[in-house]
Amino acid sequence: MEKYILPDIPDLHSIAVYEANGGYKAFRKALGMKPEEVTDEVKKSGLRGRGGACFPTGLKWTFMPKQSAKPKYLCVNGDEAEPGTFKDRQILEFNPHLLIEGIVLAAYAMGITTSFVYVRGEYGKWVRMLERALADASSHGYVGDNILGSGFSTNIVVHKGAGAYICGEESSLMNSIEGGRGYPRVKPPFPAQSGLWGCPTTINNVESICNVPVIINNGAEWYAKIGAPKHPGPILVGVSGHVNKPGVYEMPTGLPLLEIIYKFAGGIPGDKRIKAVIPGGSSTMILRGEQLEGVCMDADSLKAAGSSVGTAGLIVMDEDTDLIQVITRISKFYYHESCGQCTPCREGTGWLWKILQRFERGEGRTEDIDLLMDIANNIEGNTICALGDAAAWPVQSMIRRFRDEFENRAKSLTMGSSTIAL
Amino acid sequence: MAKITINGKIFDVDPELTVIQAAAQNGIEIPHFCWHPKLTVSGNCRMCLVEIEKMPKLAIACSTRVADGMIVKTESDRVIKARQAVMEFLLINHPLDCPICDEAGECKLQDYSYKYSVGYSRFDENKVHKPKRVRLGPNVMLDVERCIMCSRCIRFSDEIAKQPVLTFTQRGTHVVLTTFPDTQLDNKYSMNVIELCPVGALTSTDFRFASRVWEMSSTDSICVGCSRGCNTHVWVRKNEILRLTPRFNEAVNSYWMCDSGRLNTFRTVNSQERLHSPMIRKDGVLVDVGWDEAIARAVSDLKSFKKSEIAGIASAFATNEDNYVFQKVMKEVIGTKNVDYVQHVEDDAGDELLIRADKTPNSLGTRQVGVRPAEGGLDITGILKGIEEGSIRALYVLEDDIAEDPRFAAALPNLQLLIVHASVNSKTARFADIVLSCSTFAEKNGTMTNFAGRVQRLRPAVATLEQDRAKDGFAMSRWDKFASQNDRWGRSVKKDARPTWRVLTAIANALGAKLKCTTAEEVFKEIAEKLPPFKGMNYINLGSQGANANAAESVSKQKVTA
Ligand SMILES: Cc1cc2nc3c(=O)[nH]c(=O)nc-3n(C[C@H](O)[C@H](O)[C@H](O)COP(=O)(O)O)c2cc1C
Ligand code: SF4
Ligand code: SF4
Repeated sequence: MEKYILPDIPDLHSIAVYEANGGYKAFRKALGMKPEEVTDEVKKSGLRGRGGACFPTGLKWTFMPKQSAKPKYLCVNGDEAEPGTFKDRQILEFNPHLLIEGIVLAAYAMGITTSFVYVRGEYGKWVRMLERALADASSHGYVGDNILGSGFSTNIVVHKGAGAYICGEESSLMNSIEGGRGYPRVKPPFPAQSGLWGCPTTINNVESICNVPVIINNGAEWYAKIGAPKHPGPILVGVSGHVNKPGVYEMPTGLPLLEIIYKFAGGIPGDKRIKAVIPGGSSTMILRGEQLEGVCMDADSLKAAGSSVGTAGLIVMDEDTDLIQVITRISKFYYHESCGQCTPCREGTGWLWKILQRFERGEGRTEDIDLLMDIANNIEGNTICALGDAAAWPVQSMIRRFRDEFENRAKSLTMGSSTIAL
Repeated sequence: MAKITINGKIFDVDPELTVIQAAAQNGIEIPHFCWHPKLTVSGNCRMCLVEIEKMPKLAIACSTRVADGMIVKTESDRVIKARQAVMEFLLINHPLDCPICDEAGECKLQDYSYKYSVGYSRFDENKVHKPKRVRLGPNVMLDVERCIMCSRCIRFSDEIAKQPVLTFTQRGTHVVLTTFPDTQLDNKYSMNVIELCPVGALTSTDFRFASRVWEMSSTDSICVGCSRGCNTHVWVRKNEILRLTPRFNEAVNSYWMCDSGRLNTFRTVNSQERLHSPMIRKDGVLVDVGWDEAIARAVSDLKSFKKSEIAGIASAFATNEDNYVFQKVMKEVIGTKNVDYVQHVEDDAGDELLIRADKTPNSLGTRQVGVRPAEGGLDITGILKGIEEGSIRALYVLEDDIAEDPRFAAALPNLQLLIVHASVNSKTARFADIVLSCSTFAEKNGTMTNFAGRVQRLRPAVATLEQDRAKDGFAMSRWDKFASQNDRWGRSVKKDARPTWRVLTAIANALGAKLKCTTAEEVFKEIAEKLPPFKGMNYINLGSQGANANAAESVSKQKVTA
């Protein structure tokens, strides 16, 4: 299949190569369109956000006020901290000008004066790569004042995070850019009403933005036909875990997970059985290996299977995997990354992790399984931001789909420790 | 107006309100920790989750705007389960400090545990441990383990006190409240965070470990630290004031008071310098005497002067009742025209929140009840001059330490007679021939008028020798009710002090007048009948929130000089 986001062109990160391969053509084309027409095109394309929630990108853009006395901002989310997710990094390294072109297009469509690209702090090398590309784009007149003599001006600022997963959450990201603590904001107001410094703001994932030049170049109708009809387009799938060829693969949406695992990622080392799969980054619900037949990488299919696309970070676990260890580690992550603002997430994530550590040590009790479930249920939906849900879903799904693993651990305690005083 | 339904009842409410506000206005309490009516919404505690029809998730009542047709349930099974969950989450890492925690008895977390919690814990792990004694500033201590991270204190410091020095650091259960480097919580209102804190995380360095809440009685009163007159609770144990806390009054101080008023104004009441009884000067020294002897001496001494040789200085520290009776006795019974009072305005000592430059609690009231020279009489400057020149030979001073002013201190020895009402061994009292030990603001009934014309009540919180907590209707603590005279909780020290207006009445009647009032309330009744600013007021309708002096009359035209 042809690749649009990460095509196999050597040195595409250099502006000359990018231009030679049709780079910044989409933007020139857009300058001949009205800004609303660009938004419309994105809307018609069916593009859905690649940052985790699959929210329709064009629709999100229409939430921005047309007229605004205050400046309008775009935040491009490259915080990429969800375990199992490493796709945006590839873009920053191999095709940064696609991102820059996408940003300028989005800025044109929404009348954005300044865009902030928020890149996770650990991506020092990739921040430098993006900054280099941005300097080239500016010197070539694609960013800045009066771009290509069109009268349209927009700026791009690269902002490096400081190492907090929570700053990938859109409102926390804005607080972080403002110089505040990385605390998610209570919504409403939504960013399009009151975002960065109280101004209208849109937040899009790096990969989402990279789809925009592809759409403008080829047209919404063409785009909408790629992959799954209700969730179309090329998608970057990061495959990790027990596969022979882990990595980021570009493909149309809607391919079967098994095809991704066996065709793209080269299957399981030692031809072992797949015990479990996390389809879209650690917060998405875990699926049993036996359950994968017919399940595809798109929003509808994964929803029907009881999970979600998330960031399309596919984590594969073979038959020898200790899932108690897996869930304990995942829970530790959300415990460690909870910002601590709201009660259920702050307290619940730590509690989950403490109980799971007991299971890991063989000190879990059968009744703890229901307690874990209840704690997760009490977090889910009751918090300021979705980190609470992200902490709850893996635990809920692990218990729902692998209860036996917990029971075996708990049982081994009861059987092995006859000396426990009651 | 928006029509909303809460728990099946329909209400018409302002569409600008949030659900929690609309509910509160209609008498429905939605439990909450982080929300406070005077602070911005933070939405972090999640205690106020309610069910709103057509919303898939529970919503926080503190940040959700009402909308026409909205149907809210605050007691559905889903809401109750979520609330119990929040309580459980808050308690898992909360230390079981209640037996030694200052907050116990007035702790929102404790109260809600009884009301909204299931009563047992499923938490079987180790709790998180954090620093227990952190000094945030001169007046506030922090126990980080007790903190539930509601951010009220941070928002207060940022938004109300305008000293943004508090913040959280760390993440998750490790979050720690702290001050920014090289700063401390030392603004003039810092102690308000103590009451704002829903738990015992923030405590008063002054009151820490002094008493269990239920061992004290709480009396509604007002602060006498400046002319704002912030509404207060006076907390008393064993007849001793242990702390003052602010009491809500939107017309005066909202929920706040300043640290200085809170910490300093009650010191005189408890002071070692308090007078034990009236005193008269015998052979050059002041000696304790009984009331009858002191009053008889005052009467006979006053008789030996010409009316024009006598002057009276009232006090903006005293009540309206005291000043009213004083000016009446001076002018109508003793017959002098020389009556005035001293102002205590400290330029630049005021601010925009509460603190006023006028350091007396009642200067407007003092003028309103008629403290001013009678036609042709001397004002305060004239009185001072008269003393200096010898034309004023007898001076009667109410509760004001006028000798703090060096000009008075230098002039007072010229006097033949100085009668002083004082509660402590003040500078002025040391010059006096007769000292009448007077009840402080915390020991008597009375009213004061604040700078804006708000007439507010004082109530006795500490009993003097002639008072009995039970018989005289004082607020009672658990010890007041149940301790016996034989155990140490029942024993307390009472001072032999009397309210100024009553002593004045006794002197006046001994001089032949027929003043009839026997309670402060009766004096106030007379004031309300005679003086337009107080028209229609009485102790009942002043209640706990006071009332505005009738506007047209509230500011005396009289110019006062000091
Ligand atoms: C805890 C948390 C972390 C998140 N981290 C990221 C992230 O690293 N990158 C990202 O694009 N979106 C992240 N999101 C989702 C963003 O809030 C937001 O939905 C997204 O950036 C919107 O972009 P999209 O519409 O293009 O998907 C995170 C959300 C949560 C709740
Ligand atoms: S859900 Fe967790 S991460 Fe999100 S605001 Fe609440 S405490 Fe912070
Ligand atoms: S110290 Fe008290 S007021 Fe401040 S955040 Fe903690 S619990 Fe809230």
